[in-house]
Amino acid sequence: MATKKKKLPPVFEILRDNIVEHSNPLALNAKELSSWAKGLDLPAKGQTLYYTGGEYQLLPYIDSLVKTLTYVDPASNIFSWLMEARKIVNMTGINAEKIYASILAKDKERYFSINYQAATILKSLGYDLCYDGKNEIYSGALLYELGFWKDLKEYAKRVAKSIEMTEAKTIVCLSPHAADMFKNVYPTLVDFPEVEVKTFIEMVWEKRDLLPQIDYDKPVVIHDSCRMARELGISEEIRDILTSVGVSYIEPIRNKVWTTCCGGPSKMLFPEISKTVAERRINELSDTGSKKALISCPYCLSALQSGIAKDNDFVLDDIVEFLYRGYKA
Amino acid sequence: MSDLDLSKELSEYTKNLNKASKDPNINRAITRAVKAYRDTVETTMERHPHTPELAEEVRQIKEYSMKNNKELLERAMKSIEKNMGKAFYAKDKAEALRITNEIVGTGKTVVKGKSMLGEELQLRHSLEESGNEVWETDLGEFILQLKNDRPMHILSPAIHVPREQVAEIFTEFFKKEIPPDIAQEVAVVRDFLREKYFTADVGISGANVVAADTGQITIIENEGNVRLCTGAPPVHIALVGIEKLVPSFLDSMKVAEVTWRYAQYASPSYVNIISGPSKTGDIEKVTTYGAHGPKEFYVIFVDNGRTEMLNDPTCCRALDCLRCGGCMYECPVFQVTAGHYGRTYLSGIGSVWTSFVEGGVEEAAPMLYTCLRCGRCVERCPMKIDVPTMVGELRSKLVSD
Repeated sequence: MATKKKKLPPVFEILRDNIVEHSNPLALNAKELSSWAKGLDLPAKGQTLYYTGGEYQLLPYIDSLVKTLTYVDPASNIFSWLMEARKIVNMTGINAEKIYASILAKDKERYFSINYQAATILKSLGYDLCYDGKNEIYSGALLYELGFWKDLKEYAKRVAKSIEMTEAKTIVCLSPHAADMFKNVYPTLVDFPEVEVKTFIEMVWEKRDLLPQIDYDKPVVIHDSCRMARELGISEEIRDILTSVGVSYIEPIRNKVWTTCCGGPSKMLFPEISKTVAERRINELSDTGSKKALISCPYCLSALQSGIAKDNDFVLDDIVEFLYRGYKA
Repeated sequence: MSDLDLSKELSEYTKNLNKASKDPNINRAITRAVKAYRDTVETTMERHPHTPELAEEVRQIKEYSMKNNKELLERAMKSIEKNMGKAFYAKDKAEALRITNEIVGTGKTVVKGKSMLGEELQLRHSLEESGNEVWETDLGEFILQLKNDRPMHILSPAIHVPREQVAEIFTEFFKKEIPPDIAQEVAVVRDFLREKYFTADVGISGANVVAADTGQITIIENEGNVRLCTGAPPVHIALVGIEKLVPSFLDSMKVAEVTWRYAQYASPSYVNIISGPSKTGDIEKVTTYGAHGPKEFYVIFVDNGRTEMLNDPTCCRALDCLRCGGCMYECPVFQVTAGHYGRTYLSGIGSVWTSFVEGGVEEAAPMLYTCLRCGRCVERCPMKIDVPTMVGELRSKLVSD
């Protein structure tokens, strides 16, 4: 292959720098990302590590940026400026979170609390969780997606070390993307600690008989996430869990390993295409007649949300939020 | 060699993708096509339930064939020569075009069947530049030739052109009113091209698969244009990618069946099997060439980056692609943008092919980043080509070089 000099879009470099230097794509600080855990008193060390990777927490910020991006050319200076919040911090001392928050972060509370709800559900099922909010770092999935594999190889060592420090034997990943990274990508890159990698869904499925019943008398529709269904092979488990809590479900036209992507992966570079793909998936889901879809991936939740028209009463629940209803009742 | 500014490339490309995603013609046409494809494939597989198992066998045939590609190429070339055809090897696009132009010459009329390799080589343009009159005979390609457009799907190239637009194009070209009635549109092209087949000097085709032991090339089609292209003119030239080689005739039939089945056909209308020039021994048992069909038969095997792909440990299996087009119907981005997501080769698999045969990862960069890496194409692919992993590798190559 012929090699030419390449100038990559600024967003690529900024995301890489943020992950490598600040351990997450938007350079948010650990205190902010772990604020959801206040009151749970989870120990930093233990057998079963609860891993958020900061992914749900990052989404409201990313969404805010994407909403801006839809009208801003990704090659433009404004875009670079938005993405370089951390660099501005370094220069001016202004807090990065404030810059992001000033754009739009209305969904922050929802996404942060999903972490809390999931941990509460797992604890109620009898799992002794540990969570090292101070040292937890992002899985690096975006480095992998964008092609920065050399950086990922180095970065993965830090992630592996942070996991090792917790002395965990099992990692419970809230996001299927993190689980996919640890299960399928990390073993090819780094000496990964000998831990069992599981998703929240699998952990719940194993103890689904202990879940409280959910009072919801209409059928829900299940959206399978691509990573969950295809890379991790998890789809029947979600159906079993719903049956256990006494909720009926409908299958969309494309489901399980044939599920349709939410459009999320295009969000940064092709926000309009991402939105169109999301709208089409929303149509597939709502064509079932159900008014509520259950989602089990943070990126799907956020991407599909952008595919719902303002006057549409179709609702998306993360499966965590839906199961948590049983605890609120 | 110019530098690559991916930001700039993405900016233009994104505008084009966004525009395509809002085009009602594309939306309507692809939505119908996806539904029809899925429904037909489902019915077809019910009728022929052995197909997935046969696909598994073909995966193994392809794996063996690519590992032994050099030997198979030598064997196939010898077989073609034994059959009184002439075989050539072209290492790149320039060589393939040079050989073809030397055979065709100038001032000739050429009728051409649909061929992805032909698109890759921009064959029609090259022959026209050499002073030849060239006609695409596949109906979709013919429409695009008149429209000066490029294919938007590998099997249904004019998938984005509705009948009303076809009628406008034909009315202008044939200089008479052609109504937006598909049967009448088909008929007018049939009448026009029929005369071309029988006055053409050269017929050009691609091939779906080639058997090395017998030198037989197989071409799958439905319209019947390939039969006429390869049967009526006195010269037939087949241009074939080296990845189309398999060891035996029986293997080639297995590949052909899996190809058409995943291209949604229970059985195609025609399967052309060609071994050499037309011949007869009916008068005194003296073999004479050029009885009713071509007197001359040429096969040009084209590499043009395929060996480089073969040497790539991850992307080599992209050479297994049968070009059934099934993956594109499953691609969520292709479903809203059609061939705007691509150049000659389209969608995720197209980004891998573009990286090797059409200018390297730099040229493929916008396509490589368009792939969602969602993996539904792998579910559909009869060869289970792991496009998401290949795209990941190529992105890594792009940013780290």
